[in-house]
Amino acid sequence: MLTITMKSFAALFALFILGGCSSSASVQLTGDFPKVLAKPKPLSAAVVFEPSFATYIAQPNAKTVIDMGAAQVRLLRNAFAGLFGRLEFVGSREEITIDNAMVIIPSVREVQVSTPSENYQNVFEVWIKYNLDLESTAGESIDSWFMPAYGKTPDAFMASKSDAIEQAAISALRDAGAKLTLDFYRIPSVNNWVTEEQERARQASLQQSDKSEVSP
Amino acid sequence: MSPTNKLIPVLFGVFLAGCSATTTIDEYRPTGEAIELNVAEQVVILGRRDAGHYETDREFVDCVASKMRGADIGILPEQEFIDAIYPWFEPRTAPKGLSRLKRLMQDTSIKAEVSKRAVRYLVWLDGSTETLDSSGSMSCAVGPGGGGCFGFAKWDKLSVYEAIVWDLQDLTEKGRVRVDSEGTSYLIGAVAPIPFLSPVKDDACSSLGNQLKSFFSITPTTQ
Repeated sequence: MLTITMKSFAALFALFILGGCSSSASVQLTGDFPKVLAKPKPLSAAVVFEPSFATYIAQPNAKTVIDMGAAQVRLLRNAFAGLFGRLEFVGSREEITIDNAMVIIPSVREVQVSTPSENYQNVFEVWIKYNLDLESTAGESIDSWFMPAYGKTPDAFMASKSDAIEQAAISALRDAGAKLTLDFYRIPSVNNWVTEEQERARQASLQQSDKSEVSP
Repeated sequence: MSPTNKLIPVLFGVFLAGCSATTTIDEYRPTGEAIELNVAEQVVILGRRDAGHYETDREFVDCVASKMRGADIGILPEQEFIDAIYPWFEPRTAPKGLSRLKRLMQDTSIKAEVSKRAVRYLVWLDGSTETLDSSGSMSCAVGPGGGGCFGFAKWDKLSVYEAIVWDLQDLTEKGRVRVDSEGTSYLIGAVAPIPFLSPVKDDACSSLGNQLKSFFSITPTTQ
C-alpha cells in the first residue's frame, strides 16, 4: 500500500517537474494602457485598423503564440489621441468620413522573441516591428514609416514562460506608444504635411473671414 | 555535553557568520543640510531600466520604498507615477540627466501632473545583484523508496546600487548614495538541502533605504 502511494507520489512529482519545464507558450495580452500625456496638434487623422491588424496573432516561433491584436489597437488608440486633435478609427479605408486628414494604416511586419536559453541572460525579450503607411485622404502616399519596438522582462526568475513573454510583449507595446509619441512629428515627410496642412487651414480661415466681411 | 555535541553549534555558528554580507555605503551631498520635505509632498522612487544587460528590479525599488515609508515619508508608487506621466518615463524616454528633466518640466501638462500628485523629489535607483562566482555541486535523486540531495555548493553575490535624488521644484540634484554589498551563500546536501543564504540584496536595500531616510527632514505644512 505504502509502495503504491510512493509510486503515485513519484509519478505526480515527475509530471509536475515536466509540466514546469514545458517550453511552449500561448499568451493573450489583456489589460489597458495608460492615456498619453501629450498635447495633440489641431490636425485630423483617420486610423485604419484593418481586420488582419485588429485580430493579429503573432507566432514568432513554433512554440510561441501571442494574441496581441486587441491590445495593440487599444495602445494605438491612446497614442494617436495624444498626437491628433481630431481622430477617426475605422476598420477599412472606405469608412473614412473626415476630410483633409492623414490616413494611417498600421501593420505588423514581424514579431521576434528571445528566451534566456537563446540570449544567455535572465530575461525574455520581445521585438515588434510595425509599419505605418501614411497617406492623404485622396490616397497619395506621404510615407511608409518603419517603427520597431522592444520590451523585456525585468527578471525571468521563477516566472513561467507565458507570464514572462506576456510581460515582455506589454513592455514592447508601451515602447511602441513611447516611440510614436516621441518620433512621429519628427518624420520629415510628416513634418512637411503638417506645415502644408496648417497653411491650408490658415488660407481657409482667411477666406472664411473675407466672406463674412463681404456679406451684409 | 560531549565534545562532539559542543562542536555542532560552533560549526553552525561559523557557517552562519560566513553567510553575513559586507556592505559599504558612499554618500555625496552638495550641502550637509537635510533635504526639506513638506508632509503634503511626496517622493517617487524609480528604477533605471535602459541598460541592455540588466535592469533595476521592481522588488528592490519596492523594498527601498517600504524602508522610507517607515519614516513617514510620503512615497508615490513607481508604476502609478510612470502611468500618470506616460510615455515620458518609459525606458526609451526617461530623462538621464538634469538638462533633459528641465526640458520635460517645461511642458505644462507634465508639470501639472507632477504638481497634482505633489511629487517633490525623484529618486533614481540604478544597479543590480549578480552572482560572481560559484563552485561545488549538488545531486538530488528521487525514487519509490524516497529521495535526497548530497553535495556542497557555494556562490558569491554582489549587489551594487546607486541612488540619485532630484528636486522637481528646483530641478537640481540633491545628493547621491552608492551601496556595495557582497557575501557568500552555501547549500549543504545532507539528505535534505540546507541553505545558508547571505542576505546581500536585503542588506543593500536596508542600507540604502536607511541612508536615504536620513537625507530628508519632514517639515509641517505651511499655510
